[in-house]
Amino acid sequence: MAAAQGALASHRRGYYLYLVPGALGFIAIVLVPQIANFVLGFTAWKGVGLPRWVGLQNYQRLIGDDQFWGSMIHTLLFMISMTLIPVLIGLVLAALLFDYIRDQFGERISSLFRAGFYLPQILPVTTAGVLWGWILNPLGVVNTIFKAIGLSPLAQNWVGDATWALPSVSLMIVWIQVGYCLVVFMSGLSRIDPSLYEAAELDGAGWWQRLISITVPMLAPEIFVVVLTTLIASLKVFAPVFVLTAGGPDNATLVPSYLTYYHFFTTQRVGYAAAIAVVQTILTIGLAVIFLRFQARQQAQE
Amino acid sequence: MTSFSKLALVAATSLMLMSGTALAQQKTFNIWWFEDPASSEGIAWGKALEEFKGKHPDVTVNFQQKTFQQLQASGSMILNSDQAPDVLEYNKGNATAGLVASQGLLTNLDDYVTKEGWDKILNEGDLVLSKYDDKGIYGSGHVWGISVYGEYVSCFYNIDMFDKAGLKPPTTLEEWVADMDAFKKQGITPLALGAIDTSGQHLLASLAYTKADDTWIQNYQGLKAPLDGAPYLFAAQTLVDWVGKGYISKESTGMKDSDAALLFTSGKAPMYVSGTWNLGNFASTIKDFKWGQFLIPTPKYSVGSTGNLWVVPKGAKNPDLAAEWITLTLSPKYQTELANDGGVAIAADPATITDPVGKNAAAVFKEISDKNGLGFYPDWPVPGYYDVLNQKDTGLFQGTLTPDQFVDQIKKVYDDAQANQ
Amino acid sequence: MADAALSFDESSTRTASAHALQRRRSPFRWAILALLIALMAFTLFPFALALINAVKTGVDYASGGPLSIPTTIDFSALRKFWDIADFGRKLWNSVLISALVAVFGVVISLLNAYAIGIGKVRGSRAILVILLLGIMVPQESIIYPLYYMAKATGLYDTQLSVIIVFSVLQSAFGTYLLSSVLGSFPREIIEAAEIDGASRWQVLWLVVVPVLRPTLTVVGTFFFIWTWNEFLIPLVMLVSNNNQTVSVAMGLTRGQNLSDPTLSAAASLLGIAPTVIFFLIFQRTLTRGVAVGSVK
Repeated sequence: MAAAQGALASHRRGYYLYLVPGALGFIAIVLVPQIANFVLGFTAWKGVGLPRWVGLQNYQRLIGDDQFWGSMIHTLLFMISMTLIPVLIGLVLAALLFDYIRDQFGERISSLFRAGFYLPQILPVTTAGVLWGWILNPLGVVNTIFKAIGLSPLAQNWVGDATWALPSVSLMIVWIQVGYCLVVFMSGLSRIDPSLYEAAELDGAGWWQRLISITVPMLAPEIFVVVLTTLIASLKVFAPVFVLTAGGPDNATLVPSYLTYYHFFTTQRVGYAAAIAVVQTILTIGLAVIFLRFQARQQAQE
Repeated sequence: MTSFSKLALVAATSLMLMSGTALAQQKTFNIWWFEDPASSEGIAWGKALEEFKGKHPDVTVNFQQKTFQQLQASGSMILNSDQAPDVLEYNKGNATAGLVASQGLLTNLDDYVTKEGWDKILNEGDLVLSKYDDKGIYGSGHVWGISVYGEYVSCFYNIDMFDKAGLKPPTTLEEWVADMDAFKKQGITPLALGAIDTSGQHLLASLAYTKADDTWIQNYQGLKAPLDGAPYLFAAQTLVDWVGKGYISKESTGMKDSDAALLFTSGKAPMYVSGTWNLGNFASTIKDFKWGQFLIPTPKYSVGSTGNLWVVPKGAKNPDLAAEWITLTLSPKYQTELANDGGVAIAADPATITDPVGKNAAAVFKEISDKNGLGFYPDWPVPGYYDVLNQKDTGLFQGTLTPDQFVDQIKKVYDDAQANQ
Repeated sequence: MADAALSFDESSTRTASAHALQRRRSPFRWAILALLIALMAFTLFPFALALINAVKTGVDYASGGPLSIPTTIDFSALRKFWDIADFGRKLWNSVLISALVAVFGVVISLLNAYAIGIGKVRGSRAILVILLLGIMVPQESIIYPLYYMAKATGLYDTQLSVIIVFSVLQSAFGTYLLSSVLGSFPREIIEAAEIDGASRWQVLWLVVVPVLRPTLTVVGTFFFIWTWNEFLIPLVMLVSNNNQTVSVAMGLTRGQNLSDPTLSAAASLLGIAPTVIFFLIFQRTLTRGVAVGSVK
């Protein structure tokens, strides 16, 4: 018994070698810079010259910084557009394309749709910002269309009005995110045993019932990965805000990453920016740990 | 080993070799700027560069077109490395040129000022933004950079629309308001504005400068005292009033400068307040109507300044050549060239300028500069104030902030920076 | 062999039988198709916007704005951007950097995932959590340290620095994905190979990699595209124009105060065209193996 365990342990030990390149890279590129950033959080520094130790001053400032707290609340809202909505749309679309369009119109049409919905994912987000700026500005596409079809009361100042700015940025984010969810879900679907669907269909289950009772449970691992990665991404949303609203109007769309960028590169308060980034990192780690715990428990139950 | 990893190894090695080949034998001179190649500065300097190359056949002159973004995000990092060029265009102001000067990353140009005769071409006012003290505050200390062009904010107007409405460009604030009211009565929103961009805060500052005297400007730009909010309160009240009367659309909070400029260039809005950097674009794209510019009526100060600086990094190998380059761009030939390309020349003989746009711009700039009327930009005193003003501006335009709240909020940021400088 | 696990044999039979079942509901199917086409038109609309404005003249834009249909097709904005950006060079740089990151990133991910998924090394969950940090950290926060490290090692302003940084950052996600795929890799196959005397290294390259190839391609494709679109780190690390990438060059059109909309559109179009082409070539493989447990 003990010998067998010993053999297993040494068997496993051999695999550690394979972690060496990844570990070295990780230490150099992520760990050391993160530690450096953590230390910088206790200093006042302008990016050049010598940092000056200020202790907890940056964190004290942070606690009283309305901009920071506002940005955290916006992050919670962006979780909806970054995760919840794209996952739901992605699920329905994936099921539609896989389970309906492919049967009715064939594989080609279905992959054409998949490719089309995925395209926004590969667009550099700075470019997306320029294009969506044209669409959402007060004289842009949306309002022009509303006015042309006689619905001018619906025309809004989409990115310039505090009420609409956050939903508008969210719309662009949803546009970007749906493709990612769709592609991952569709590939997961190819693993589901088709006989499950046929049986359900023979039992008289409609399309929607099949989605809820077969597709969603079977796609649990994919849903899990997508939710985790998009939630993490929502904590560091930056580019869509940067290019569309620059955090405005009057900070209505400010997010933590924009705040750190602003202090890192504009005000050159590198120490303070580092402190905000530390808080952001800690929150992210917390979120990931909770999720992975949850995943472990699920797997243990299976 | 698989073919995959072999390929990768070869590629990696060749990369390292590539970076090694940059060490050329001949004397090289590296020069960077980030002005758009189509801008007046880009065109004029491009021509100067050809002449410079011709004068120095023994030197390999390498020019690189940079972007504003790159210098904004990593300018100080570049200057703090051995990758910096011999001479480059750098953003003026305390947070940029001042910071790198105070950190010892630039070459002191004091000696060249007299040696190259720059002091004879540029007046004291033109050199204010060249000097930074050891804390990086402009106005005194050594000379760290030289500006060879100017900028100012004015109101661009559509001459055809003014003529049709029987209006004249205003010389007082009251006349300006009357002009706007006349347009409004005809159902035209008179003033195009990008409130989330520079033009919003430049209009705000222009209005504030109608109530600004020498002391206020010096205190404000020098971060010398807590903010006296009175001029800003007047500006904020005026803007809210104008939005209420429909002189400025509430929609401007969703517009960038390029959107607002489009309203002007497409003939939809008769007026647009912005800087001289638009001149080149307007000259080339407006074909359907005549246009001009008038200064916003203020007692003395206009929003504007000398342009970005030529700076010489600390480790530059050819400071003499760099100085020669600066002298070349300041020479009458290239100052006239700049003006003829529609730019704001700082030292050109007006008689030699043929382009009407550039001629007018050079004259207006000289007029402001001669009365020491450059009030600089409102975001200069505090690093990051640009974003603060934009954010609070939009609050004001939207009606979520009252003028009093607006002034309180920008004062809080200003006073915080003033107390902790 | 194991490839069968990834083939579409079962699903194609399913298509045939399901087809028979559903063919009857045809009136409804056109409604669904129309809905999807409308959604797709919405999705692709911004691309069309880039296209029509890239071929407009500045004067045309100044009078009609971004929504008007161009009166003439004009390639001068495209040509101008190509020239001022030295686009050919940037294209080559981006291809080189993105491709090498895809290769190195996949190799690192694979090695990590082999140890975690197949080797089940102790603490693999902790390793995964720590690795995930790699994709979580806000990039801005590691820029200053990375800059000083690159300067110290002489890698500042070399493409190698960007390649190393992104290979490591991307491999965090790759490790996570591949670990769960390999976690459910059929043990019998590996045991059989080991009984035949294959070493661990051989098992990896001769048994695991062939089975995993579609998944690896997909992961590599993602890495390529993500790296292509990266902006901030290349902007800071690559000083010389000769080393810069396409997405950095696109910043050329957004000056301090100046912006030329047709040039922006031209930049957008030239910036996205390569990834779109790349994507269209590889899009078929995208669904073939990306699934978290596709080998199950």
